[in-house]
Amino acid sequence: MSDKTRIYTKRMKVSDLLACDSSLLSILQRLDIRLGFGEATVAELCTRYGISADLFLMICNIYSFREYVPQVESLGKSDIKNITTYLRASHRYYTGVCFPAIHESIHRMVNELDEMSRKLIDKFYDDYDNEVNSHFMYEEDVVFPYIESLMADKCMERGKYSISQFEHNHSNINEKLNDLKNIIIKYLTEEYSSPLRFELLNDIYSVENDLRKHSLIENKLLIPLVEKLEKCHE
Amino acid sequence: MNREGKYKVVLIEPSEIVASGISAIIGKNPEFTIVQTLADPSYYNSNDNADVIIVNPAVIDFNERFDMRSYFGGSEAAIVALTHSNYEESVLRQYDECIGIYDNASRIIQKIRNAIEECIQNPRSDINELSARERDILKAVAKGMTNKEIADEFNISIYTVISHRRNISQKLGINSIPGLTVYAIMNKLVDMSDFG
Repeated sequence: MSDKTRIYTKRMKVSDLLACDSSLLSILQRLDIRLGFGEATVAELCTRYGISADLFLMICNIYSFREYVPQVESLGKSDIKNITTYLRASHRYYTGVCFPAIHESIHRMVNELDEMSRKLIDKFYDDYDNEVNSHFMYEEDVVFPYIESLMADKCMERGKYSISQFEHNHSNINEKLNDLKNIIIKYLTEEYSSPLRFELLNDIYSVENDLRKHSLIENKLLIPLVEKLEKCHE
Repeated sequence: MNREGKYKVVLIEPSEIVASGISAIIGKNPEFTIVQTLADPSYYNSNDNADVIIVNPAVIDFNERFDMRSYFGGSEAAIVALTHSNYEESVLRQYDECIGIYDNASRIIQKIRNAIEECIQNPRSDINELSARERDILKAVAKGMTNKEIADEFNISIYTVISHRRNISQKLGINSIPGLTVYAIMNKLVDMSDFG
C-alpha cells in the first residue's frame, strides 16, 4: 500500500485537512493559527500568517502519512528559519500543554498508589521531565543559535560546532516515555487499575507519537538543510 | 498474522523499481500481505507487529549492521535481506534469509517461508519470563553497576552482559536504566533502601 498519491496540497481547504486527520489540530495550535478561518485553503491561510506553505504542507504530511518522504530539495535557506521557529513553538507546546497534562494525570494516579510505587513513579517522571527540558534547552541555547549564526554568515562560529554533533547528541527521549508506558500497562499492580491510568496512557501515546514526528522534522528537514548550508561555508 | 491469516510483510527498499517488483511477486502469493513499503528504515514502526521484514542492507547505517534485531526495536519478525550486491558474511549472518536480486519468484517465496519457519523453530529466547541469570544481571543494573563491573562480578565477557541486557529489555519492554530500576524495586528484586 502506498500513500505517495494521498498527500495534501496547497489548494486543499484547511478544514478538509483536519477532517482527514484530527492530529493536525495541534500543528495549528502551536503555529498560533486561530480557528474560524472559514473556507480558507492552505495557501491562503499560510499567506495570511506569513508561513511557508511548502513547509506547512511537509509538516502536515509528515504527521499524517507514515510513508511520506519529504523532498528537501524544494526547500531553501529561508525555510531553515521557519523550521526552527516551528520547532521552538513545538517545544512550547510540549512544555506548556502536553507535559503539564501528563504530569497532572500522573500526580492524580500516584495518589491512589502505595507509598513505594508513588515515590518510584514520581521520581522516574521528574527525572524524565528534567531530561526533556534540558534536551529542549540544548537545542534552543546551542543548536538553533548556531544555525542562525550560520545563516547570518558569521564564519567565526565555524569549526566550533557542527550539526553532525547535534545528530550525535540527539538522544532518544522517547525511550523513557516508552518505559513509563510499559510500567503502567504491565507492572503497576492490577488493584490500582483505574480510568485515570487509561487517560494517562492515552496522553502518553499521543505525545510519544508527536515527539516521533518532531524528531523526523529535525532529522529529515532541518539537519539536511543545515548540512547543505555548512557545505556552502566550507 | 493479520485477521485473514496472512503473514504481514514490511518491505524496506529505496529503489521504487525493485520495491514494486518484489511487492508484485509477494502480492500474487495468498500467504502474504505487504502492510508497509518504506524507502527509509527510520520510518519503521515496531508497533506494526510484522511477521517478516524484508530490508535492503544498504539502507542500514554501517555501525548498526551487526545487530539487526535490536535495530528493529527487538522485533520478533523474520528479517530477510534483499541484496543488490555482495556483502560480507558477517553482515548477512544477521538475517534469517537472504534474497538476491536475480532470484526468481518461486525462490523468493521459498526463502521468505524458510525465514518464517526458522523464526518459529528457533525463537530468539523464551519471550515471557526472565531467566535466573537475567534476574541477577537486572539486579546489578538496577544497583547502578556498569557493564564492565557486571562482567567482572559474574566472570563473563562484556558482550555477554550486553546480550543479557538486550534480552531483558526485550522481554520487559523497558530500556532505560531508571525504568529497569523501577521494575526491579516493584518486583522486590532490589530494595529501595539500596538507593538512599
